[in-house]
Amino acid sequence: MRSQLWGLYVREVLRVFRNPFVVLVTLVQPFMWLAFFGSSFSNLAAASGKFGSGTYFAFLLPGTLSTSMLSVGMFGSMSAIQDKRFGFMKRILITPTSKQTIFLSKALGAATRGLIQVPVMVAAAVVFGVSFPLSPLEWAGWVLALFLLAFGFSSFFLAITAPATDWQTPGVVANFITMPLMFASAALFPSSSFPSWMQAISNVNPITFSATLGRSFLLGTSVDWWYLGDLAVFAALGVLIGYLVSARWLRVE
Amino acid sequence: MSTSAIIVNDLSKRYGNSHGVLALDHVTLSIEGGTVFGLMGPNGAGKTTLIKVLTGISDITSGTASVAGFDVQKESMQVRARIGWVAAEVILEDDFTTWENLWLQARLQDLKGWEERAEQLLQYFGLLDRKDDKVSHYSTGMRKKLEIALALLHQPTVIFMDEPTIGLDVATRRMLWDIVTGIHKEFGVTILLTTHYIEEADALCDRIAIIDRGRIVAEGTPSELKARVTSDIVELETSEAVSADLLSKIPGVQEVRAQGNDWIIQVAASEEFLPRLFATVRTDDIRRISVEKPSLETVFLQLTGHRIGQEEPMHDIRKFYAQMRRARS
Repeated sequence: MRSQLWGLYVREVLRVFRNPFVVLVTLVQPFMWLAFFGSSFSNLAAASGKFGSGTYFAFLLPGTLSTSMLSVGMFGSMSAIQDKRFGFMKRILITPTSKQTIFLSKALGAATRGLIQVPVMVAAAVVFGVSFPLSPLEWAGWVLALFLLAFGFSSFFLAITAPATDWQTPGVVANFITMPLMFASAALFPSSSFPSWMQAISNVNPITFSATLGRSFLLGTSVDWWYLGDLAVFAALGVLIGYLVSARWLRVE
Repeated sequence: MSTSAIIVNDLSKRYGNSHGVLALDHVTLSIEGGTVFGLMGPNGAGKTTLIKVLTGISDITSGTASVAGFDVQKESMQVRARIGWVAAEVILEDDFTTWENLWLQARLQDLKGWEERAEQLLQYFGLLDRKDDKVSHYSTGMRKKLEIALALLHQPTVIFMDEPTIGLDVATRRMLWDIVTGIHKEFGVTILLTTHYIEEADALCDRIAIIDRGRIVAEGTPSELKARVTSDIVELETSEAVSADLLSKIPGVQEVRAQGNDWIIQVAASEEFLPRLFATVRTDDIRRISVEKPSLETVFLQLTGHRIGQEEPMHDIRKFYAQMRRARS
């Protein structure tokens, strides 16, 4: 299984880099969040005094990166649909490769694709005046948190779209889940000002875990490393469900 | 020693629930190792379904099948390590180079030390000097060659070729015929190919099974099958005035089949039949006439009552739209 997983994973990642347009969109999309949403909101945020000691950009960056990990799930799932439509799924399965290996390679590939946004976003944030007082350990923790988030989301996404062969399905599913998960989290606003029912969602939302952890590194507030554990549980759950679902319901064509 | 590379025993495959289409209807086959075996039949006859079942892509409704000595359902991984597959439509990673495509295939087959074999195959197919070219720059013929090289990389026991020449121009089809014969000799691999081109089956295959509506209706060497048909086929289009009764009374007529005013008549010898026909039926009543000597085409016609290229029109239209959809996506 290791040989097949490595081959398919490399394929997923190489495919992204062979398509300049995809790279561009992947990189520009989170940047636009910072530029437009961040700029429009930063004065209001400063006036309210609820967004920590730094600029709103420093508050927003960990949140934006976290919501970006939500959307990479869609790309993994679209890559799977493409393989089904063009027959490549059949080509893979007429070798000693299991459906679970295909699932893992797609989920890991999508997560990796999510992570390439991190250096670009960090560089963009520097342009907007954010400083990064992180120790190497904190950097590692932050990237790991984002990876676990992306791995978990892409796993759930692939599980949901395993039987799908239609191009539209990933987009529809993404639209359906992105909005509530993004707003019912601490990604864009501090959850302390939410109504209690939304706080309840936010408190178990993995986007909140990752955004809060990243923010504590960036704003220098007290760090709760347990969030990494929560994210690991989320990722493990996603992988387990994706693994079981793909064995049974992953359509070949 | 020759053993069976593929054994299919009383195999049925039904799609969907118990009211679904019965794509394979109690198929039994034994394909000897080292041969080229042809599955010949019209579109929708069950050829592709049989390949899907044998390669482990589809499950089985009832019966058993084994490939290279392993059960296709219980030992699917062992089967898949011993088979190669060449699709009707070429399926490659277009953004990758030739060598990267081979690398990926080697990873999927979990091969070590595959590089030498890969270079030999590229040499054999005349692609070695283009191994670092992106596949998207290749011609159809080169893409087919690379796909066959991928199928041969892990030294498989059996290669499945699903409609290998469909949609190809005449020159490329000829080239592919040479390749099939060539790799069979060079690599000693058993080849199971499906086709609805009769001349293709005749030219390439050691043995042929004729499949129609999910059933194997005949099996044998091309010459055995042709020998089964000793009679000629005469096709007629007539006016309303001609009846089955009238035609069957002509001496030498073995069987008369009618589709409206079109007749398919099986006769002992067309040379003797035609003068008698003209003596019986007024020539004004005959609009068209054609005579066929025994061939695989007439074998198929005689066994199934319809021509291999003849499909239900509805089926045709649905396929057309399906192709349109695929082309657009």
